[in-house]
Amino acid sequence: MSEVYKKLERVVSKEYLSKDIYLRHAYSRNVDLVLQGVPDIVIRPKDAQEISEILKIANEENIPVIPRGAGICEFGGSKPIGDGGIVLDMKRMNNIINLDEENHIVTVEAGISWGKLNEYLCHFGLYTGCMGPGSGMSASVGGGISHHSVGGGGCAKYGACTNLLISLEVVLPTGEILETGSQANKYSKFPFNRFGNGPDLAGLFCGDNGIYGVKTKVSLQVFPKPEFAEYKTFLMPRKSAETAAQIMTEIRHKGIDVYDAMFIPDVVIAIGSDQGFFPLWENLKRKRGMFFYTIEANSEVELDENVKKLDDMILNKKSEFLGPEIADGNIAKWHYVEKGHWQLYHNLWGMFPSMQALSAECFCPISAFPKILQDVDQWDIEHEVDMRKIFDITKIRPISGSGPVPLVDGNTVEITTGFVSFWRYYNEEIHEVIKETNLKLWKSLLERVIKHGVQWYMMGDFLSRFMVDIGAYSEEFYNLMKSIKKTVDPNMILSRGKFNFWGEK
Amino acid sequence: MSELKHLKKEWKAIMSCMNCGDCGFAIRPVVGRYLTCPVLEAKEEEGFEIYFSRGRMNVLKSILEGQIPLSRELAEWVYQCSECGNCTEVCHMSQNPYIVLPTSNWIDHVKVWEALRKDLVEAGFAPLDRHGDLIEYMNDDNMKNPYGEDKDKKFDWINEFPEIKEKGDLMFFGGCTMPLRQVETLKSMMKILKAAEIEIAMSKDEWCCGSIAIRIGDEKSITEMIEHNIDEFKNKGAKTLFTACAGCYRTWKKDYPELLGYELPFEVKHITEILVELINNNKIPFKEEMERVKVTYHDPCHLGRHMNLYEIPREVLSKIPGIELVEMKRNKNNAWCCGAGGGVKSQFSELALKISQERIKEAVESGAQILTTSCPFCIGNLSDAYEEMDLEIKEKIKVIDIIDLISSKL
Repeated sequence: MSEVYKKLERVVSKEYLSKDIYLRHAYSRNVDLVLQGVPDIVIRPKDAQEISEILKIANEENIPVIPRGAGICEFGGSKPIGDGGIVLDMKRMNNIINLDEENHIVTVEAGISWGKLNEYLCHFGLYTGCMGPGSGMSASVGGGISHHSVGGGGCAKYGACTNLLISLEVVLPTGEILETGSQANKYSKFPFNRFGNGPDLAGLFCGDNGIYGVKTKVSLQVFPKPEFAEYKTFLMPRKSAETAAQIMTEIRHKGIDVYDAMFIPDVVIAIGSDQGFFPLWENLKRKRGMFFYTIEANSEVELDENVKKLDDMILNKKSEFLGPEIADGNIAKWHYVEKGHWQLYHNLWGMFPSMQALSAECFCPISAFPKILQDVDQWDIEHEVDMRKIFDITKIRPISGSGPVPLVDGNTVEITTGFVSFWRYYNEEIHEVIKETNLKLWKSLLERVIKHGVQWYMMGDFLSRFMVDIGAYSEEFYNLMKSIKKTVDPNMILSRGKFNFWGEK
Repeated sequence: MSELKHLKKEWKAIMSCMNCGDCGFAIRPVVGRYLTCPVLEAKEEEGFEIYFSRGRMNVLKSILEGQIPLSRELAEWVYQCSECGNCTEVCHMSQNPYIVLPTSNWIDHVKVWEALRKDLVEAGFAPLDRHGDLIEYMNDDNMKNPYGEDKDKKFDWINEFPEIKEKGDLMFFGGCTMPLRQVETLKSMMKILKAAEIEIAMSKDEWCCGSIAIRIGDEKSITEMIEHNIDEFKNKGAKTLFTACAGCYRTWKKDYPELLGYELPFEVKHITEILVELINNNKIPFKEEMERVKVTYHDPCHLGRHMNLYEIPREVLSKIPGIELVEMKRNKNNAWCCGAGGGVKSQFSELALKISQERIKEAVESGAQILTTSCPFCIGNLSDAYEEMDLEIKEKIKVIDIIDLISSKL
């Protein structure tokens, strides 16, 4: 490895790479409880050219390379699979390159966060609309594109992060630097459109989970932020999930352009209130699921008209309006105004010390989500014996269920279902049985959810391989994906192991 | 493998870090949040994840799981942290009266860093060189201060003020930094107190408060030091002890009771708490000011995030004739650290200066002509950084302790 290190040192100066054992462990984990992979080397490249050189060396030496944006993947996607390899820390590339004010297209380096980008845009009265992944305002733009991410706000109106994409600069695993969309024409002076000049090659890299190329430069469509907005929260009647699904479908049928629409399941309200996490709902007589919407408009008249349509629709379903203020229970206001919604997961995942999530984040049709949530409840009952193994050590039982269910573009929702459990290091001791049980339960839950026909977007280390292992991919789809991988990455060095694309170790 | 005695006690915090990365990258303008870690930002393009909390928590997970040991190399990373607590702030940022984040009950990053430092010291990998000197000086019976000065030198300035009594209800704890490095500010303080006709007492046998030892994690002599200091002031009849140092204030008010397990026999106040009372009771005879000057206030971490004392210094400033208080972009709980704390100034002085320069630039952006604060450590570091800055900056702003600022208005 020291020879490789010397070669890399000739590409990036020594300040930007390290093989220090502690530094490598800092990059060895993501959000989940169980997956770890310690890289041999961590590099902070400054541009596409450096990445190209690094990838060429990795090919010569047959060393895997894993790109890492903000490192917030829930399935271990931005750390090595197993130990070893090179982590590319993309956070050095976090600059705004250009704002085309005439065409409302911003071009950024892929390591920039959605928070930094939107802070910049707000000075021009603009925003990205889709405010990035659910992982807060810290997640990177490159990561959002690599995963079709949703959940940071605005995805009912603007869809996933990838919907904003105009053009990409990508370094292929063999080192070639490619630009997509309008930039495929070498005479194009600036990015202006994604489609055309042949197939949508940008689409190849959207949601690729980092296997086909390293995104280095991203051009996104941005939008003027509307001046007016309303945000309301409603307590759902019985069969809250079904009612919420009906409302979401009706919103689409009537063509009301909501910014966000979200269902918060009964279990969240019940447990959260019981544990004292949600004082805003403590006085509710019935602890049932909630539904909220946010809608933006360019005039008060437009806003009032749409709000009336939405309210009529929702109140018609025996729902109860909670009032305008956060203190009244209006969590929609907190989401839109304070933008703290990511931290709601501290309540859902971090209820007790060392508790974190093993989740299953996926897309499904609006009409399907109530059944999936019910089935996760059923799954929980069926796995009492394993849950008990963890309870016996922690005296707290893992909790299954779903976090908020947001409406995405079209007739799709995102569900963040799964269970929360504990680290194997608990109460000053290592308990291997916790880790083993967590892994067993996670696989079992994911398989159950996969069989509902859902669509995964963030797949990382664990889920990308699991889909292959259980034969969930159609043969034709997987074979094409593999053929493309072999073409662009013959040595399988980029994100080695994802989707079981291993190459020669 | 070390016993990890202290770190193990913080397992709940370490294992509850979700890796969300907000402690490194969060920008949330609506709540005044513009990034979090001053060390990470000062490292600029070399900002590997080990420089901010999430990366460090990942390292600690591996240490607790027995994958990697403590070492001197680890200590070199670990002490590059000013323990400003901004990571804790962002971690619990969405907490409000209506949405309670349970993790705020057990994630306190500064406690984790201090536990790690204690384990490093006990395992023989720390203190680092310069920190070791400070601890040695502090424990030396002829010094009892971390500056390596003679014990009596701390009290030289008192000779100018025979009105300072040896015993009394209201006693001043001078600490080490002001009497040994910023004595003019103490003279300013006496000018104010004299004008307000306030009598104070002091002990000529106070020792260093021990903050440096606690922050570095070398607490072998701390109990003796605390007990000496408490006895000294108790025996001289103190009902209220006040200090002009944010570090001493935190140590006396928070650390002493926590380490001893009982409340102190007197009240502890920061000088700004004394000053605000005097101003509100019209005890300070300010001269009439014709000119208005824009002043911005830097929240010392040991006063703000560590002790929740944000409003009183602002109230003081807002009531001084001729002063218009303007806020920096990052203020109160979101304030950017000056970079001096946690032993950074003494061991990694260039890093400390770089962080302070960032803060001074932010003060200039606020439109202020004066950057003031209420901590001698912040003043020292900001002033050192200021000295190295371009004339263009110096023409726009000055760095002045809040005590000197008030004194100049009498």
